[in-house]
Amino acid sequence: MGKTQRDMLKINDLYVSIGDREILSGVTLEVKAGEIHAIMGPNGSGKSTLAAVLAGRETFTVTKGSAYFMGVDLLALPPEERARLGLFLGFQYPVEIPGLTSVNFMKAAVNEQRKYKHLPPLSAGEFLKLMREKMAVVEMDPAFVGRGVNVGFSGGEKKRNEIFQMAMLEPMLAILDETDSGLDVDALRVVANGVNKLKTKDNAFVVITHYQRLLDYIVPDIVHVLYKGRIIKSGSKELALEVENKGYDHIISGT
Amino acid sequence: MKEYTYMPEVKRVFQCTVPGGNIRQVFLIDGILQEKESEQNGVSLTSGPDGKGLQLRISGDHSENPIQIISVRSEDLPRPLEFYNTWELEPGAKAQIVVCDHTLREYLYQTVRFSNITLGEGAVLDLLFMQNEHGRSRYRLEVDAQLKKEARLDCHILSLYGGTIQNKVTVHLQESGAVCNLDGLYLADGEQNVTYDIEVRHNSGECNSNQLFKGILDEQAKARFDGIIYVAPHAQKTEAFQANHNLLLTRDAKITTLPQLEIYADDVKCSHGATIGSLDPLGLFYMRTRGIPLSEAKMLQQMAFVQDVLEHVRNGAIRSRLEKIVESRLRGEFTKCTHCTMHCC
Repeated sequence: MGKTQRDMLKINDLYVSIGDREILSGVTLEVKAGEIHAIMGPNGSGKSTLAAVLAGRETFTVTKGSAYFMGVDLLALPPEERARLGLFLGFQYPVEIPGLTSVNFMKAAVNEQRKYKHLPPLSAGEFLKLMREKMAVVEMDPAFVGRGVNVGFSGGEKKRNEIFQMAMLEPMLAILDETDSGLDVDALRVVANGVNKLKTKDNAFVVITHYQRLLDYIVPDIVHVLYKGRIIKSGSKELALEVENKGYDHIISGT
Repeated sequence: MKEYTYMPEVKRVFQCTVPGGNIRQVFLIDGILQEKESEQNGVSLTSGPDGKGLQLRISGDHSENPIQIISVRSEDLPRPLEFYNTWELEPGAKAQIVVCDHTLREYLYQTVRFSNITLGEGAVLDLLFMQNEHGRSRYRLEVDAQLKKEARLDCHILSLYGGTIQNKVTVHLQESGAVCNLDGLYLADGEQNVTYDIEVRHNSGECNSNQLFKGILDEQAKARFDGIIYVAPHAQKTEAFQANHNLLLTRDAKITTLPQLEIYADDVKCSHGATIGSLDPLGLFYMRTRGIPLSEAKMLQQMAFVQDVLEHVRNGAIRSRLEKIVESRLRGEFTKCTHCTMHCC
């Protein structure tokens, strides 16, 4: 990690509420290109809220603070513009869209991104080639793309589909919200391999997880513990082991 | 000089883009048949006794050769128009009929189209009504169908555009083994008003009926779905299903849905259900996080909503044409057509 690393994400003193309830109470976080950050924390600590706010979910209100993505004020942009700049959110609960096939969904997404980059839409042939290539990254059955988005998918298939979409869109920063929840060991390995294959020195990942298990496969540079809407501790990957062995209470009481 | 002339150059002026190939096009202008009465290869085509409407009598298998009935209201007849159609399929006959109704100018047209349909034993009819008029037209369709033993009727109604559209469909399943699949799709915005009045009568046992009606209402549009499944006392082993699903895009759009079952037999399998909902905000957010703009995400969700109705149209060329028309309709492209009421279909 040299000093020339580019700033990817800069969150400063971020406060977020839903209705009258404050969920994030001053989050500060910096992610540079080439890094993998893990955010851990007990239930209700605000992990998913942080992910959703960064992606542009409108049900939350930012009451204070800022978030910059590659130097751009993220909070001023609608979700689709954040995505086109290269931000990706892997959903904890991927949404089912009956009637819309994965092919058509991804075609719309990829071509929107190309339009933004002033590139012509992909031809049907080019698109299918790209799909096949990226499906291989997550060992996905090609039959899935002809079905409704996430419809009738198992938990593991849904998460694989998220990583597949990420592979298609090649984001600069991917925030993966509990991508490991509900996965068996094999699916976990496939998903983690997908992430590792897509990792370069120019992009970055923020991996949100409950458990240390995922971090055996995706090795983080920095681990943060989020509690009651604040990052109470940051450290190397050993922090994740500490959480695993001693529990959150130990870390909470130690701060 | 007139802006439009239809006859004798109907086909030149009226550019119908429903996929051609082996489609036989039959034109009616103001309810009057525009070709000579004929009887060829088992298709008999005549005007009604009052000189209006279309009488069809079909024998043999014509399932691969659709008949398209294009009915146009001209500017020459601003008066209300009613015309009767009698279509009969002889036992074992198979046919595919596509009915397209249009008006050419924005007059306050009122059109009533009656279609009496008889399907003989084992006859199969695949019927599609495309209702594409303009914002001030009043249009009413009445279908009354009688199905004999093991006959099958697949009827799709697409209410794409029109000031007031009323559809009344009554199907009588008269003898065992008859099957009826009814689908409807209604898209309305502005002050448009669409009603569906559906009655499926299981007068005999061992018949099967399926209904799927879906609507998307925008702005102040109103729709009403009134559907009855009637099962006669002796109609045992009936299987009858009905579903009506609605998507309201604004708070001002209104749908009244009245699904009803009237069952007098005791060994039957019947169900009905209706839903009213709005676009799924989480689904929209999901699409937007993939870079799809909100307007496009809404569009995709609406297309996804109507997909199963369109999938029921078996003719692939017509189905993909319909998908395009529905999409351009949902994109609001019809309303931009100020110079023409054809909406490119």
